[in-house]
Amino acid sequence: MGDDDHSPLESPEGHWWNQSVNRRESIWLGISGAWAVSMFGWMLGWTQVGEQNQTGQTYEVSTERYRQKVQSFKEAAGTLEVDGEEVLVPDGNDVYVGALQWAWDGLPVVLQPGETYNFHLGSYDVQHGFGVRPEGNLSKQISLQILPGYEWVVEMSFDETGTYHVVCNEFCGVGHRSMHGTFVVQDHEPVETGSGGSESSDAAYGSWFTSDARGGATDFDGEPTDATDQSDVTVEVGADGNGGPYAFAPTAVQVSSGTTVTFEWVSDNHNVLVESQPDGADWEGVDAFENEGYSHSFTFDAQGVYEYYCEPHLGMGMKGVVEVV
Amino acid sequence: MFGLSTFDYDEDGFRECDVTGLTVHKSAEDLVKLFGVTAIVSLAVGGAFALTVALTRWEAIGFLDPGQYYRFTSLHAWFMILFWMVFMEIAILYVGGPFVLGRKLSLSRLGWAGYGIMLAGGALAVFSIATYDLPNQAPFYTSYVPLPSPAPYFAGAVLFLLGALVAAVPFFVTLWHEKREHPSKTLPLITFGAFITGVIALEALVGGITALTPAFLWRIGFLEHLDAAWYRQMFWTIGHGSQQINLLAMITVWYFMTHVIGGAEVASEKISRVAFVLYLFFINLGAAHHLMSDPALSSSWRMWNTSYAAYGAVVASMIHAFAIPAGLEAGRRRKGAGGGLFGWLWSAPWKDPGFSSTILSIILFGFLGGITGVMMGQMQLNMSWHNNLAVPGHFHATVVTGTTLAFMGLAYYVLRLVFGRDWFASRLASIQPFFYGGAMAVVCLMMMYLGLLFGVPRRHPSVMDIPGTAFDFSPSEPFFVVFGIAAILSVVGGALFVVIAVGTLLAGGTFTPPIVEDRAISPVSGDAAPPHEQSMRGTFVLVLVFFAVFVVLYALNWFLLSQVWEIGP
Ligand code: HEM
Ligand SMILES: [Cu+2]
Ligand SMILES: [Cu+2]
Repeated sequence: MGDDDHSPLESPEGHWWNQSVNRRESIWLGISGAWAVSMFGWMLGWTQVGEQNQTGQTYEVSTERYRQKVQSFKEAAGTLEVDGEEVLVPDGNDVYVGALQWAWDGLPVVLQPGETYNFHLGSYDVQHGFGVRPEGNLSKQISLQILPGYEWVVEMSFDETGTYHVVCNEFCGVGHRSMHGTFVVQDHEPVETGSGGSESSDAAYGSWFTSDARGGATDFDGEPTDATDQSDVTVEVGADGNGGPYAFAPTAVQVSSGTTVTFEWVSDNHNVLVESQPDGADWEGVDAFENEGYSHSFTFDAQGVYEYYCEPHLGMGMKGVVEVV
Repeated sequence: MFGLSTFDYDEDGFRECDVTGLTVHKSAEDLVKLFGVTAIVSLAVGGAFALTVALTRWEAIGFLDPGQYYRFTSLHAWFMILFWMVFMEIAILYVGGPFVLGRKLSLSRLGWAGYGIMLAGGALAVFSIATYDLPNQAPFYTSYVPLPSPAPYFAGAVLFLLGALVAAVPFFVTLWHEKREHPSKTLPLITFGAFITGVIALEALVGGITALTPAFLWRIGFLEHLDAAWYRQMFWTIGHGSQQINLLAMITVWYFMTHVIGGAEVASEKISRVAFVLYLFFINLGAAHHLMSDPALSSSWRMWNTSYAAYGAVVASMIHAFAIPAGLEAGRRRKGAGGGLFGWLWSAPWKDPGFSSTILSIILFGFLGGITGVMMGQMQLNMSWHNNLAVPGHFHATVVTGTTLAFMGLAYYVLRLVFGRDWFASRLASIQPFFYGGAMAVVCLMMMYLGLLFGVPRRHPSVMDIPGTAFDFSPSEPFFVVFGIAAILSVVGGALFVVIAVGTLLAGGTFTPPIVEDRAISPVSGDAAPPHEQSMRGTFVLVLVFFAVFVVLYALNWFLLSQVWEIGP
């Protein structure tokens, strides 16, 4: 294009560096510069006068150690029943949240409105995202990154009462979409430290393994394993199944009254919570998340169906049954 | 190459382009074709994956089951952001260097070798995504340690980056030869832009290899442990660095296309070049805006980082936002094409898909992608964006309505000027950019809306039904409907482009210059004064509108954040 002296495809001629700049272009430069400085100033100013700043102390901590911290937090906490659900009442103003595949350990808790809490955020395994919003107003939401190996302490204070939902905002494996927790902001009387019992329901064995019951559907062929002739029975916790190491094996087992069943952990981060059991039975399961190598035994006497599940992997269908016949 | 071109070369392998006046050598042109065609094929495949992913997120359709959604989204990301973008960018380096300088591509063998390595690495990565099994998990774009992505995935990714590095070498060597021969000659602006793009690419690729190699060693058990925070920081040197390559390549294309088709001239060599240099110095650490809501980083570091990115890179982008339309305005006024405030714009060749893609790219990138990027780069505002659907909303605005659209515009001209073929279905070609850009803009807006105002997470296949709880995001459903329909339309728009491109290669007639009647405008009919003395009042009005929108959206986002409970000291 010979007719252009000012083509971007040709080397500029002469002293292009000294060529003057159009006045409007210079004004725009000024506006741009001033705007950048203003935005920076606003951001700095907000740390002084604004109420939302995601800053706080970070500690390096092993995932194992962090798990213990959350466990101590849970042990020290009291309990309170809110809307038919047992929730933790923090002992003091520290709240420990342990993210794991795929649950929020340490939650649910109940918090006093207006009170300032130190949220401790950490992970037991991979990266997770702490995405929080009150139930009634989805646009009031924020999200913070959680990294294994780090404990981040961020202060938070809530005025609006109600349930807050915590959804994992960082992809963390196949069960990511089921990773959900809650906390409740509510005025409540001071509560003493103690531990809660387990609730019961009378869901039928038949629907327990479907997604009509709590959690996802379980891979189960409908045939319980018959172990009525054995006096010691083993159930593997975290065996392969349900799309990963998320099964109890056998899924359902029939035993005779007086049989001792040993639950052996063959992979990490599982617990055993009792969904329902026959009247008079007092099996408590295993509340804490345990790892490979852990085991738990219980002797089943009362006849009937015992339904149980793993809390973090409930969404994957990690459910089981012991039936005493 | 491919036997698809209609041009002949002289015995030294050169030919003269009648439209741009460039002297083009076969060594460079063959590779431009190879990389360009590979890119377009990838775009087609990536688009098919886009449809499956979008129709999964629109849960009324719920196309894929959750496990497959993670896999397909990872594949979509690879075909689009890695294959479509990076192959196209190497082609752009070869246009910006050897084409513009009228030289052979030095060491062109390395270009072929780089292509082979990229293809092998890419194939390995994609294969491992398509076939992984538990305990491996979908890598997505980020493969965040310690979630176990398949080991071959990391190897493939490293190889792909290495290949890109090798393919960039001939570009630099060509420039070096030019400088040796003409030490006192200034590089043309386009070549200068391509050069800065290349340098930033080098930094990014080296950073990427630094992050992904240890990740591979960790995955095969050679390293015991890899720190999650370290990996995130290193990953984003390539993760964001490659977005900067997209940005710079796009801006270089803007200068090129507005000139070739619209008759734009350089408003100020000095200012535009300073803006490129600002990128060079300021943009690499801007990558840390991905870490604004992370633990393990002090707030002063995060603040300094955003400010530094704001001062440097954002100002540079705002400079180009003025300089490019101003160049068009001044160039067209000089050629007598348009008086009044916007005459230069109305009289422009809007039916030419190369032109309309470029202008739409400039507008949509600025308004949708640029503004939102600055917003989420502010430390506190980041909390309301972090990892929700607004983030893909933002980056589809930059990388799809911005870069992809610009590259499509360029590709229309690669078909004409490199393959020497005229568009098959030219009527369809002239609506395609509006169709695609328009639908994609709605997709982006919906994703932003869903993310910011409903907190819908990204990378999540079922927000209407979260297993194990009654809670869900059902109030957002109407927006998903709009999102889903727009996504279908945008995929149709993208498919249209692929059809036109392939149809042109196979069945297009021979292209004969000039490109548009508009180029016949006589340079003497306008005002002969140099560009910087031309009136830029039309551009000035446009950038003031842009600025006003910027300020309003910025204020709204802060208002939104201020409604949230108290966080932090
Ligand atoms: C036809 C148009 C397109 C549509 C409808 C589309 C749609 C989507 C959707 C729905 C997601 C998933 C968001 C989520 O659930 O988190 C996604 C992810 C993504 N898309 Fe696209 N997309 C399109 C084109 C492109 C193009 C052209 C590029 C790149 C140049 C691109 C790059 C990406 C990337 C990098 C991701 C993120 C994957 C990750 O989270 O790691 N997309 N896209
Ligand atoms: Cu998750
Ligand atoms: Cu489990």
